[in-house]
Amino acid sequence: MKLVVDDAVCSGHGRCYRLAPDILSYDEEGYVAGRGEPIDFPGERRELAVEIVGTCPEQAILLIDD
Amino acid sequence: MTETASRAAPGVESDHPTAAIGRDLGACPVKHFDFSPARPIGSHWQLAKELRLACPHFFNTFAQGYWVFTQYDAVRDIYKNPDIFSSESITPWEPDPVYRFVPTQIDRPDHIGYRRILNKWFSPARMDQAEPVIRSICRRLVAEAAPVGHCDFVNEFALRYPTEAFLGVIGVDIAQADLFLEWVEDFFAGFGGDPDAVDVMVAALGGIREYWVDALAERRGDAEPRPGDLCSHLLFAKYNDERPLTEEETLDMLVVLVLAGLDTTRGELGYMFHHLANHPGDRRRLIEEPEIIPYAVEETLRYYTIVFGDGRKVGRDVEFHGVQLKRGDMVYGLVSAANRDPTVYERAEEYVLDRKNNNHFGFASGPHRCLGMHLARREMQIGVEEWLRVIPDFRVASDELLLERGGGSMMSLQSLPLEWR
Repeated sequence: MKLVVDDAVCSGHGRCYRLAPDILSYDEEGYVAGRGEPIDFPGERRELAVEIVGTCPEQAILLIDD
Repeated sequence: MTETASRAAPGVESDHPTAAIGRDLGACPVKHFDFSPARPIGSHWQLAKELRLACPHFFNTFAQGYWVFTQYDAVRDIYKNPDIFSSESITPWEPDPVYRFVPTQIDRPDHIGYRRILNKWFSPARMDQAEPVIRSICRRLVAEAAPVGHCDFVNEFALRYPTEAFLGVIGVDIAQADLFLEWVEDFFAGFGGDPDAVDVMVAALGGIREYWVDALAERRGDAEPRPGDLCSHLLFAKYNDERPLTEEETLDMLVVLVLAGLDTTRGELGYMFHHLANHPGDRRRLIEEPEIIPYAVEETLRYYTIVFGDGRKVGRDVEFHGVQLKRGDMVYGLVSAANRDPTVYERAEEYVLDRKNNNHFGFASGPHRCLGMHLARREMQIGVEEWLRVIPDFRVASDELLLERGGGSMMSLQSLPLEWR
């Protein structure tokens, strides 16, 4: 399973990496690291992935099943 | 500001003939609201809800007149389209304001150059570094308040705590806090659209600016930036890695940080603690399950958003959500209505302590999302943790109706008397 964060839309709210601090990290300006590229997300934590997608105020995150 | 419009009865809807506006508004409803007067606690969210239920948009004849959009989707689309909706003015009743906030009122592409300089100072990593300082300030203020048994929460703890924390984060001596407290109060008196308070607002702006002029002068001869000192750092910063900031730009940035960083957190803390004072079950749950405090902070920012609405200036003629907008028009996205829009949120009219999927606009959205959001969240979280640790039970110590400052500025309770044993 992968998360894709739209680089052009993400404005660094930080809601995603706060919900999954063990999976997602952030850069020195506070944007989620790896945005614009597919980010691996553990398949068994689908519920968390869905919550992350639903929590983004920019609606910038897409969930892609393998 | 239009004299006749601003002097109309406060907050009262009245009939205005469309002809008076001098243009055809199509089928758009026309109303007249002055959002600046103080109202009883909660009335702004109630009004926002009534407006959302009445119509998705209307034309408000207050001041020069502006469009108000009341639903989540339209508010989102205003934020998502900064190339149409300029931040040149963010107060729809004042299309050409006397102040210029940088980077708040700067559009793309120049905007991001300023944000790059500032983002690092308010990033989550920086907040991790600053957390011990913020927590120790909070602990000291709670320890001072506890034995007294009562306080005016919003005018004492909730204003002093974020002020000292902010000064700590940007490297200003916290002994200067009193100066800043007074300026912030005076500024927000005028910012909300009350014409009688404009002089006080302008004087406060001058005071803050003078403070930074002196601070910059004192640092200008330094050979290198002073560690942890934002003001000093700005003297050495390069805009887009190309050129130093001008003094005007630097001052505009420093002034807006003060205005945006202190009063806002005070407002949110006030509503959160008013809620906790009246909901002992929620207090208990936050003590027993501190891991849900971050959810409670976000729910506070949604349900008790202090942003009544957010203004933008229309950059080109465009049809938007069924309205023909013209270049130069002002629009107002009613954030307080969007954050409780039942098409987006389940149980939208309830405060759900551990709400999930809470994609609220309490910090706005788009490129201008709140720079200080990570600081504000951290302050709120630490504030709740430290207060509840020492003062787990408290209540509102007044039977009188509490008032909140008008929606023209950020909303905030004007006072919140709390007491405890």
